[in-house]
Amino acid sequence: MIRYEHVGLRYGIGPEVLEDVSFTLEPGSFHFLSGPSGAGKSSLLSLMYLGRMPTRGLIKMFGQNIGEMNRDQLASIRQRVGVVFQDFRLLGHMSTFDNVALPLRIQGRPEKEIKNNVTELLDWVGLGDHKFALPSTMSGGQQQRVAIARAVITRPRLLLADEPTGNLDDEIGFRLMALFDQLNRMGTTVVIATHNQQIMNKFAHNRLILDKGRMHIEEGTKKGGLRQRLEGVY
Amino acid sequence: MIKRILQKLPASIFSRERVLGVSKSRQKYDLPLAASTTNSFLRLLIALMSVLGLLALSASFALSAMTHRWSEGLAGKISVEIPATDSGGDVIDPSLVKSMTDDVAKILSAHPDVKEVSITEEKKIKELLSPWLGENMVMDSLPIPGLISVTMDEDGKTDLKELEAKLRDVAPRARIDTHESWLTDVVRFTGALQFAATLLLVVIGATTLVAVAGGVRSKLSENKEELELLHLMGASDSYIARQIQKHTMILSLQGGIMGVVAGGIVLIGISMVAGHMSINLIPEFKLSALQKIILVGLPIPIAMLAMITARYTVLRVLTKMP
Ligand SMILES: Nc1ncnc2c1ncn2[C@@H]1O[C@H](COP(=O)(O)OP(=O)(O)OP(=O)(O)O)[C@@H](O)[C@H]1O
Ligand SMILES: [Mg+2]
Repeated sequence: MIRYEHVGLRYGIGPEVLEDVSFTLEPGSFHFLSGPSGAGKSSLLSLMYLGRMPTRGLIKMFGQNIGEMNRDQLASIRQRVGVVFQDFRLLGHMSTFDNVALPLRIQGRPEKEIKNNVTELLDWVGLGDHKFALPSTMSGGQQQRVAIARAVITRPRLLLADEPTGNLDDEIGFRLMALFDQLNRMGTTVVIATHNQQIMNKFAHNRLILDKGRMHIEEGTKKGGLRQRLEGVY
Repeated sequence: MIKRILQKLPASIFSRERVLGVSKSRQKYDLPLAASTTNSFLRLLIALMSVLGLLALSASFALSAMTHRWSEGLAGKISVEIPATDSGGDVIDPSLVKSMTDDVAKILSAHPDVKEVSITEEKKIKELLSPWLGENMVMDSLPIPGLISVTMDEDGKTDLKELEAKLRDVAPRARIDTHESWLTDVVRFTGALQFAATLLLVVIGATTLVAVAGGVRSKLSENKEELELLHLMGASDSYIARQIQKHTMILSLQGGIMGVVAGGIVLIGISMVAGHMSINLIPEFKLSALQKIILVGLPIPIAMLAMITARYTVLRVLTKMP
């Protein structure tokens, strides 16, 4: 579904931040992306949500070579990718509701469907009372939940999250991981960049490990469904 | 759809938290376009440009009406003068002038190309002269030339030199005046003015274009992060452009209407002052219905121009994003 072959990325005339990265993500897979700070995790994710183009190498997404696509085709690929940014990137002039509704509106979904789905999801992430709140009035953890809700509202085929549990306490972090896991069970391919060793240990998925721009893959240590473990947690 | 996912998960465990700032109404645009000082700047600028555009356009209309009336009114018209003095500068007997004038008029009437002949009465000539010479100067003693207004057939292929020669058989110093040289000068002059007005319109249009493009660019860089976010969520270029072009169009329409109202007041003022001047030389400044519609509708082409410029600018800026 996603295939990287000898991909390199540099910013301007700087050194290569990613060097010769190759990997394949099968549909419906779940990967953690880890590595020390500055290793290039956010950079790799930005390639995956087509925020940048690689300086070399081949990238195939959903079976298509992105180097051969026109702007509208790239836009439609982006619509199939949900992203939780490390710095959330909520729109400050919009309410929580409108922030979460935005990807659906971009996709031109009917307003009724938008209202139902967004309300439902906001209730679930515990922000039902904050529907009309502006992001600037919310805590970091609350904003992060809005960002996560916005990323999953379209049920993307690929979900990317950059440190999605960074601002959350463990309990809430695990709950959101459960949301990602549920989406994954329903077919979404998930890649989560995280430093959080505890979460990686608890949810034993395969790991993409970046170090100094190079990547290697570690198989998940534990086998078995997440569900059993979740039932232990709650 | 979301429900199917959520119902597989444990019920929400988040505690209810206090809500602070709120925004209940849905934002009209995904980008924070409404709150920006660029807006009032752009609106005011378009209003000023519309005032100028309105004035330039109506000046151009007035000039073309003027030229049209003059050349219309004088087309096919010639006048014949029988001077009241002989070649030596001595005054001819007024009764002789009168009989020569009548003879000339007879020849003219007989000519196949002539439609209408009318001898300007002595009283009328005096009236025409009095503003220049003063009431008292225009006495019976003053030598009054004979004047004949002639309307020729429209096709105007008549050889006037030959006609003049014929007239000179009865009145040796008769002279045909076609008004042509005078008219050519006037037409050339109003033509130049009209060109200036058109040029002014073009400059106004270009200034508006540059200002709108600059305004849109500054708006986009003000909202660079939001713009990038929309792009990353898969908003197509035209989705983003649509919002900004719509917003720009509304602003320009507001500015244009403000400008046309203000400019209209100025125009009405000018035409009132001009009306009081009662200068016969300048044909009455009257706009046709079509011209009025064009002037009142001026905000529409301005808004369209602004909208197209905004769209083009956004699309250009967006090409910098992959
Ligand atoms: N926009 C940019 N322009 C230039 N250099 C950049 C840019 N973004 C990142 N870098 C550089 O690329 C390298 C990798 O950065 P990146 O943000 O991808 O790391 P990371 O693994 O996400 O780190 P962290 O865990 O701290 O978020 C760093 O050396 C950083 O300085
Ligand atoms: Mg990072």
